[in-house]
Amino acid sequence: MRLSTTVATLAIGLAATARAAAPAAHAAPAAPAAAAADTCLSCHATLSDERLRKPAELAKNDIHLTQGITCAGCHGGDPAAADRAAAMDPRKGFVGVPAPRAIPEMCGSCHSNAAYMLRYAPNIPTDQLAQYRTSKHGIALAKGSTDVAVCSSCHGAHGVRPPSDARSPVYPTQIVATCARCHADVALMNKYGIKGNEVAEYEKSVHYAALTQKNDLSAPTCKSCHGAHGATPPGVSSVANVCGTCHVSQLEKFDQSPHKDAFAAMDQPACEACHSNHAIVHPQDSWIGVGDKQVCAACHSAGDAGAKAAAAISGALASVVAAEATVGARVAHVKRAGMLMDPAEVKLQDAHQAYIMATVEIHTVTPTLVEKQTNAALADTVAADKDAAAAEREIRFRRTGLFISLAVIALAMVTLIFKIRSMER
Amino acid sequence: MRALDKLWQALDERLELDPIVEFIRHKVVPTHRHSWAYYFGGLTLFFFFVQVSTGILLLLYYRPTAEAAFESVQFIVTRVPFGWLVRSIHSWSANLMILSAFAHMFSVYFMGSYAKPRELTWWSGVALLGLAMGFGFSGYLLPWNTLSFFATRVGTDMVSLVPFVGGWLLKFLRGGSEVTGATLTRFFGFHVAVLPMLTTLLLGFHLALIQRQGMHVPASLEEEAKRRKPIRFVPNFMMREGVVWLLGLAALAALAAFFPWELGTKADPFGSAPAGIKPEWYFLFVFETLKLLPAHIFGIEGELIGLGAFAAGGLVWFLVPILDRGRPGGGRGRTFFVLGWLVLAYIVGFTFASFAGVFK
Repeated sequence: MRLSTTVATLAIGLAATARAAAPAAHAAPAAPAAAAADTCLSCHATLSDERLRKPAELAKNDIHLTQGITCAGCHGGDPAAADRAAAMDPRKGFVGVPAPRAIPEMCGSCHSNAAYMLRYAPNIPTDQLAQYRTSKHGIALAKGSTDVAVCSSCHGAHGVRPPSDARSPVYPTQIVATCARCHADVALMNKYGIKGNEVAEYEKSVHYAALTQKNDLSAPTCKSCHGAHGATPPGVSSVANVCGTCHVSQLEKFDQSPHKDAFAAMDQPACEACHSNHAIVHPQDSWIGVGDKQVCAACHSAGDAGAKAAAAISGALASVVAAEATVGARVAHVKRAGMLMDPAEVKLQDAHQAYIMATVEIHTVTPTLVEKQTNAALADTVAADKDAAAAEREIRFRRTGLFISLAVIALAMVTLIFKIRSMER
Repeated sequence: MRALDKLWQALDERLELDPIVEFIRHKVVPTHRHSWAYYFGGLTLFFFFVQVSTGILLLLYYRPTAEAAFESVQFIVTRVPFGWLVRSIHSWSANLMILSAFAHMFSVYFMGSYAKPRELTWWSGVALLGLAMGFGFSGYLLPWNTLSFFATRVGTDMVSLVPFVGGWLLKFLRGGSEVTGATLTRFFGFHVAVLPMLTTLLLGFHLALIQRQGMHVPASLEEEAKRRKPIRFVPNFMMREGVVWLLGLAALAALAAFFPWELGTKADPFGSAPAGIKPEWYFLFVFETLKLLPAHIFGIEGELIGLGAFAAGGLVWFLVPILDRGRPGGGRGRTFFVLGWLVLAYIVGFTFASFAGVFK
């Protein structure tokens, strides 16, 4: 389920809460025009206490208010009453600030009501509350923790915006900072057996770089792997499936490999064992092997079958990298000399593509399969190298031709000059 | 030999060629310390011949459509035997032709050769330079690569500033409101049909005037020219011109072999314009000047004022045979002499400064 839809659901549901099943007991939905006559807003907007005035200011941009849902939807009371005491009369359902423990149920009372949500957004799911109850947050809340995330912790209490709005705290580029508000708090996290360095680690990753440097909104954020409303760490057995959501080919190759059963037997998380979990950096060929700081060394040692396979794979990849560098430089050199090298460059691109395929085949840990791709890459570099060699021959031919032409031209000039001199003597 | 004599006799009987032969036999070229300047016109003509011959060869393979133009030029430079040489010479020769034409024009200007009775020669020459720049502008787009595409877009955009008819002129040049395949086809038509026809007519007129009126000798060099023996046009001057042409040919061969003209990447009309787009070097002084102007001057668009100033300057340059009344004692006016140097310094200065990245 996409976060955008879930939050939209939540937002609209909050509105519905006000109308249908809010704890504040507003059974009848308020008419959209009611927002204009809302005494909650008009009164709170004039208060000098910022704590009380701010919600009224934020509410102006709230998705619920734009749908005609008043403050009373969540807080109860009588928004039509001009008198303060009447407006905030507990007999009219006024609850003031909802307790954190009550918030998920309050939001869910609309957002889990499929029939009600159909009136606003028929296409969005209504299982957020059900998911939340299964989440680490929801479980801890049920056990009595009050410092865990509830709906308003992520989406905001007032001024709730749709998640497609770049200003929403759950927008892809904002959500890491939103999670970090709690998950970067080491003391709070340690209380729950979490290190608290996860966000800092994630910020070193290729995923974070894609999100922030390339503005790639599809790059994985916290909720992509842990879930949004059902947030929970993926278990050892399910890590591969989480990564495989995007890295489909790598997962497919891993599933064919002897590592799959071996990792399961050792209770090792599939991808994480080599790539880490949050600080996922760009993999390097130099990781492959059983030497110091090489990933295979975690399970293999020199001389065993795994070490031999790693050496074969590493060697195959290194041969392609070296060939790409050498041939690439040669092609670039003749290109600088003015030759059109598009065909050679296409072959080099093909070679690099085959190299990338080889890096995917690594997950099979089968040298013959990796070599199949590296051999294809090498064949492409050989073809590009032939083009470069032909271009070098052409350059020599052109320069030879030029010198012969210049000699002929010079000879003709000298002959003419002598002829002119003899005529004018 | 007998056969040739008979052929000549037959032609002479029918066409009365003797007077022409006599004219050529007696035609002489004055010599003085600046008579080297007489060779620039011939050199420009040589590059024009190179353009025509290599252009015809390129036409054998070139396809003037947005879909095929780039690929056809790519085919020429990679697959056609010596296609790279023909294309490279065509591009280099175009630039050398403009350079040589500028040198010819300024040498004529500084020697005051535009004065009566050679006004028509000056006017036809300036018009020929304009046509040569038109060749350059239209030919630049034909390979349909990224740089040429966006440079043409910028260049044709300027046309829209012309008061009253700018919009119409823009559509006429582009074949629509944007630079598209229609523009390419249109520019191809200008490049291989309209401009060559006009150039051939005007060039014939220009050459006929030169032959009819002979070479001009500046007043300050008349004494020297009288003292020194003039050289015969045929064969002496022509052989000297031949040496200059051979030099031009050697320069072309060297440039084509060592600095083959780049093709770049195919134009993508939906792509973003690459940084640092510039027109051909002979438009740089105009381009950089317009860039320096503020957006608005006295409430009028800066570029419009700039283009208006260039148009006015060009008109003064064109009308100089009329505007320069000369000195009382003979010779050309000092004002126009100084103006010529200022214009030359401005063009050369801005062009080099642009290459040096001063205006970045």
